[in-house]
Amino acid sequence: MSEFPYLGHGIGLRPPHYAEVVNDRPAVDWFELITENFMVAGGNPRRVLREVRAHYPVVLHGVSLSLGSVDPLDATYLDRLAALAAETEPAWISDHLCWSSYGGHTGHDLWPLPFTEESLEHVARRVRAVQDRLGRRILVENVSSYLEYAHSTISEWEFLGELARRADCGLLLDVNNVFVSAHNHGFDPEAFLGGVPVDRVKQIHLAGHSDHGTHLLDSHDHPVCDGVWALYRSAVERFGAVSTLIERDDDIPPLSEVIAESRQAAAIEAEVLGRTRAEVAHAR
Amino acid sequence: MRAEPFGRSLVALQAALYDLITAPEGVARRLGELDGSPADLEALVKPSPAMTAVERLDVYANMYFYRILDVLRVEYARVVAAVGDAEFHNLITAYLTACPPAHPSLREAGARLFVFLARHPLAEERPWLVELARLERTHLELYDGPDAAALTMDEIRGSTPEAWPGLYLRAVSCHAVLRNRFTLSRAWRTLGSGDPAGAVPAVRETLLVWRQGFQVFHRVVDADEEPLLALLETGARFDTVCERLLGQVPEEEAALRAFQLLGRWVTEGLVAAPR
Repeated sequence: MSEFPYLGHGIGLRPPHYAEVVNDRPAVDWFELITENFMVAGGNPRRVLREVRAHYPVVLHGVSLSLGSVDPLDATYLDRLAALAAETEPAWISDHLCWSSYGGHTGHDLWPLPFTEESLEHVARRVRAVQDRLGRRILVENVSSYLEYAHSTISEWEFLGELARRADCGLLLDVNNVFVSAHNHGFDPEAFLGGVPVDRVKQIHLAGHSDHGTHLLDSHDHPVCDGVWALYRSAVERFGAVSTLIERDDDIPPLSEVIAESRQAAAIEAEVLGRTRAEVAHAR
Repeated sequence: MRAEPFGRSLVALQAALYDLITAPEGVARRLGELDGSPADLEALVKPSPAMTAVERLDVYANMYFYRILDVLRVEYARVVAAVGDAEFHNLITAYLTACPPAHPSLREAGARLFVFLARHPLAEERPWLVELARLERTHLELYDGPDAAALTMDEIRGSTPEAWPGLYLRAVSCHAVLRNRFTLSRAWRTLGSGDPAGAVPAVRETLLVWRQGFQVFHRVVDADEEPLLALLETGARFDTVCERLLGQVPEEEAALRAFQLLGRWVTEGLVAAPR
């Protein structure tokens, strides 16, 4: 099996949908689990984890590795992540290109990094350390951002490509984040897609955002918008069949609506590639 | 204008931005306290056509505060109902300044709120708020606390009466005994329904909080039950539990009462199955 197998079209597993997923086992190719939601001793979250894992492929998606922080990597967190991975056997593990902690405190947010040589070397070293600890390569995701640093020396897509090369990691391409950041910073989202190395992209995220007038916010509280669907089409044209996931974290609709968006993504992929999903899966 | 510009190294940048983003009064106010100007910040953060550098950083400052506030509003729903949205907002502002999150999980962000509340002016007016907050937090902690197999009535019925005195009783780990100075039962119920707390009597009350299956419950502990729960927590034979009762109830009632309590604990899923 490939290190990052093609899983098809999945959705992020969220608490309002736990019971329906466990009881009804809906037709979803795979689920992405928020790592920290399952780093608990027991109870319903752990039961859901066991039940879902028994019937679906899963991946672990974290928000707290803080790969860009100048704080030391959190060894306790990594131990817990390794234990969860050993128990869950996820298809892969991912986290974000950001810093979210400083001075031993955490912001529970995804703060952007300057795109400089110093950041590149720092993050690449930490990704390698994480991969060594976990005994596997990870995926690193581009974040939405609402600010740019004056001293960045390269573009975000150049940074991601070089990070993947230096750390030998994969990339989780969040198409909505590309869309949001492109709007907020005035770059061409197609240039972003065109600058990311094809062979490193192993997963795609799709989500909705909200328009605050002065900026777009990656709020995950709306359906995927037409602009993001169009950008996803471009992503499929460039990257081919990549495991794709719908994220929804606020104003969460019925499960059927999230699944419908996942199927819309599958339809776009099949249309662009001109093949059936089965053929796509087989080709990987 | 600052005498020294904000540093651009990762260490200096993260120190400065963490300070500004988490400042309780917002980025502009904190920038002023640091003798900085918007121009100082723009040397680090580029303005956009629609937003200044301060406004761009404020997006993160707002997300930092409101993400945590939203989680704590759910976790401490009855405290919110008791004090109102505005007071709770101010409480969390002060709490995050005193106890900034230090755990990777957002679930832990509110872990120290009831301890902080004990020193807060709100608790001077309504000291029972501290115990209410602790009870809400305990519910959350037990919700995803450790799993354990519980002894069942069928297992007891399956054993011979001669074996009952030697039956070893130990509480499952997913429980807590809260000894309160106030009687919270009515306030818990009314606040949960969106009604005012009403009078909260300053009468001592011991609560047992536990998880059965995937639901967390709490109830008042009977006076004669409390010392026995202490035995259950450390582990004891059933005949030891019976002996302890002798000092509290008439001898002729002790056996019946012991079996009542055993039945209640087992029915509640509070007694761990034998290893």
